[in-house]
Amino acid sequence: MIMLIYAAIAIAFFILVIGLLQKPEPHNPDDAFGEKGCAPRIGNGRWLDLSERIFDPSDSRWLQEELAFPKLAKELMVGRKRLAVQWLEALQASFDDLVRTPDFAPIETSETNATGGWQMLWLTVRFKLLVSYALLVVRLFGPYHRLIPSFSWVPLSPASERSFRRAALAVGRTSH
Amino acid sequence: MHGVRGACPSLVGFMQNVGMAISLCAFVLAGVVLFRGIAGKCFKLFPLFYSYIIYAFCGSTIMYLVYWLEPQAYRTAFWLYYLVSILVEFTVLVEISDQIFRRFPAIRNLGRAITVVISAVFGLFYVLPALLWSPGMATALLGFALRASVTKAVVLAALLVATRHYGSELGRNVAGLMLGFSIYLGINTANLAAARLFGRVLYGDIYWIMTPVGYTLCLLVWTIALWERSSVPNVGEMSPVVGGSSDAVALELTRFNSELSKLLHK
Repeated sequence: MIMLIYAAIAIAFFILVIGLLQKPEPHNPDDAFGEKGCAPRIGNGRWLDLSERIFDPSDSRWLQEELAFPKLAKELMVGRKRLAVQWLEALQASFDDLVRTPDFAPIETSETNATGGWQMLWLTVRFKLLVSYALLVVRLFGPYHRLIPSFSWVPLSPASERSFRRAALAVGRTSH
Repeated sequence: MHGVRGACPSLVGFMQNVGMAISLCAFVLAGVVLFRGIAGKCFKLFPLFYSYIIYAFCGSTIMYLVYWLEPQAYRTAFWLYYLVSILVEFTVLVEISDQIFRRFPAIRNLGRAITVVISAVFGLFYVLPALLWSPGMATALLGFALRASVTKAVVLAALLVATRHYGSELGRNVAGLMLGFSIYLGINTANLAAARLFGRVLYGDIYWIMTPVGYTLCLLVWTIALWERSSVPNVGEMSPVVGGSSDAVALELTRFNSELSKLLHK
C-alpha cells in the first residue's frame, strides 16, 4: 500500500512539474479590472474615498434606526458587502501587479540590498495576510463588522519605511 | 546523487557492471556540466549549483579511488557520502529558489523563504521521526532518504506553483535545473519506496541500477539546459506607477500596507 502511495506521489509530482513548466500566459494587468472600469491605484484619492463610503455604516444605521426601514437597510448592507468584496479583490489585484513589477537594474546591483529584500517580502506577506483576513471577515460578517483587528501589533518597521522613502526620493532626484 | 552509487561492493556480475557503466556516464556528464559552466560563464550566475556539482564530481572521484585502492573502507565511506549528499542536494533547491524571482524586487526572497520553511517543517515532523523511531539502521537510513526526497519534491512543487502564480518566466537554464531535479526526485522517491517495500533480496539489484539511472537522466537534462547561458526572459510590463526601481516598489508596498491598516483600524 505504501509503495502505491509513494509511486502515486512520484507520478503526480512529475505530471505537476511538466504542467507547471509550460510557458505561462502573459499577464495582462487590465484583465483584472475589465469589468470594473479602471485599475485602482493606492495613490488614487477617489478610489480611496470610495472605500470610506463602502465601509461606512452610517447610511445603513440611518435607514434602520431613524427611518425605520430594516429591510431596506439589510438590502443596502448586502449591496455594500458585495462592493466591499469587489473593492478588496481589486486592491489585491492591484497589489499583485505591483509585486510583479520587474527590476531592470543589472542583477549585480539589484542584489546589493539583501536586508531590503527581506523587508519587502515581509511587507508583501503582511499585506496578503491582512487582505485575506479582511475578505474572510467581510464575506462572513459583512462590511460593518467591528471585529476586524487593526493588526497594529504587527510591526510595519517605521525605520524601514523612512529608509525606503529616502531611497525613493534620492532615486527621484537623480532621475530628474 | 553521485556517480559511484551503482558500484556498491555487495553487487556481483552483470548488474554490477551495468550499474558501474551508468555511474561512469553520470560521472562524465558531471564533468561536462562543470566544464561548460566554466566555459560558458554560467558559473557566476549559479554559484550554489556549481558548488554542488564540484562536490558531486570530487566526491565521486574520491569514492572511485577508495573503491579501487581501499575496498575494505569503501562501505563505510559510501554510506557517509550517501548521507551527506542527501543534505547537500538541498543546495540545488536553494539555487533554484534564488533564481526564480530574481527580477521581482518585492518577492526576490520568496523562493528562499518557501524552501527554508517547508524544509524546516518537514524536517522536524516528517524526516526526523524516520531516523529516531525506525526499528533498524537500514530501515532508518532508507526511511530518511525516502522522506528527504519527498520533502525536496514538495519544495520543488511549491516553488513551481509560486512561479506560476506570479507569472515568472524561468528561462532555459532555470527551467532545465528544475526539470532535471524533478526527474531525479521522481525516480528516487519511487525507487526508495520500492526498496523499502520489497527489501534487499527482491529489489537490491534493481535499486543499485535505478539510482544512477535517475541521476544520469538528471545530469543529461542539466547538461542540455546549461550548455550555454540563456538570455534574460521577458519579465512582463513595467508598472506605470512605480517604474522599475526597487526603492519605488518598496515605498509602494509600504503605502499599500499603511492604507489597508488604516482601513482595518476604522
